[in-house]
Amino acid sequence: MQHIAVKELVGENAMTLDDGEAIFNQIHDPLARGETVELDFDGVEIFASPFFNAGIGRLLADFQPDILNSHLIFQHMSALGDGVLRRVIANAKEYYAASPEHRQTIDRIVHETAAVM
Amino acid sequence: MTELTLQIPRINDDPADFRTLAQLWEQVRVAGDGVEVRFDFSQCGFLRPNAVVFLGGLARVIGDRGGKARFDVATMRGDVRTNLEQNGFAHAMGADLPPWKGNSIPYREDFQQDEDGVVEYLKDNWLGRGWVNVSHELVNAIAGQMWEIYANAFEHSGSRVGVLSCGQYFRQRRELVLAVADFGVGIPSNARFHAGNAELSGEEAMQWAFVRGTSTAQKPGPRGMGLDLLKDFMRVSHGVLVIYSHDGYARIDERGETYQNSPAFFEGTLVQVTLRCDDTYYSLSNEVDSAPYF
Repeated sequence: MQHIAVKELVGENAMTLDDGEAIFNQIHDPLARGETVELDFDGVEIFASPFFNAGIGRLLADFQPDILNSHLIFQHMSALGDGVLRRVIANAKEYYAASPEHRQTIDRIVHETAAVM
Repeated sequence: MTELTLQIPRINDDPADFRTLAQLWEQVRVAGDGVEVRFDFSQCGFLRPNAVVFLGGLARVIGDRGGKARFDVATMRGDVRTNLEQNGFAHAMGADLPPWKGNSIPYREDFQQDEDGVVEYLKDNWLGRGWVNVSHELVNAIAGQMWEIYANAFEHSGSRVGVLSCGQYFRQRRELVLAVADFGVGIPSNARFHAGNAELSGEEAMQWAFVRGTSTAQKPGPRGMGLDLLKDFMRVSHGVLVIYSHDGYARIDERGETYQNSPAFFEGTLVQVTLRCDDTYYSLSNEVDSAPYF
């Protein structure tokens, strides 16, 4: 089992896409190998959706919800973080439930926008 | 260098005041590049934080276009001048006098994302001054929600002059105000592009942007939670969120959501949040849900 102290990676504020990506990069491969990962939020005080979108929501692209429920454990999550995380997960499930063609269209538009801005 | 004088009147935060701000922006736009703009305050008796961040951003836009902004201190009434000196606006615009603590929350400019700096600013200068009777947990909740505004600005606006913020405590009304502005591409134009519908009105585009899951983010993946979370937070905290962005307007308060075409156009986004200074107004859950996350 992998134990990851979130505060050590991102500090007290879990808010940005970059911090979320740092978490994603730590947990994606162990989950893919079938390992269980404990994400420990002890000492993390502030949460925002970009962090959870990039760190947790994206996992639903590669893993089924039941796998994540059994292999990804959240520890010391505050009520505040819990509320934001659940909203982000619900949103991500809707996003990934869209047809692959629809998702590709969304992502292509987003990518093209990024390229011209 | 061509010269332009902007007459700054008393500016509050009603739609008519926003029209005033948009007209100032329009004068600068029409004047073109390389203009020296003098801000004349002889008709100004008061500036709300939304006006302070707007004028600061406008000064940066003028500079970005090769011009020069000059705030005519000699035309300022004493209380207006004191306010702009106290909140650090004057110092940011080149005055020697450093800011000091008062009822204003310091004027701040962020040219790149600095989440820890913004959180410290919100916690120490805005929420931590003893004006708001809220718990440590609630301070963190509010700071996280306010970060959603900054995150939207940093990620979506493409503002060449950064993100500007300022606030004020209104003692008699027991209200805390935070204003955040950028001078970027705006919510409606982003929404039209990502919705794939160039015909959306300002009203429709703002409404689209507040729906959960819709996002103008530039990276693939699930997004679009910021405005949705903010909307819910306003409802449970009895706060007020007002956004003017390009040709769109949104107001979220305890009575509901209002989306309209903006009374005037400016290239950017101006956000104002008004919070109550008593935790009895906040009905946030303290319980962690025991249901599976996924």
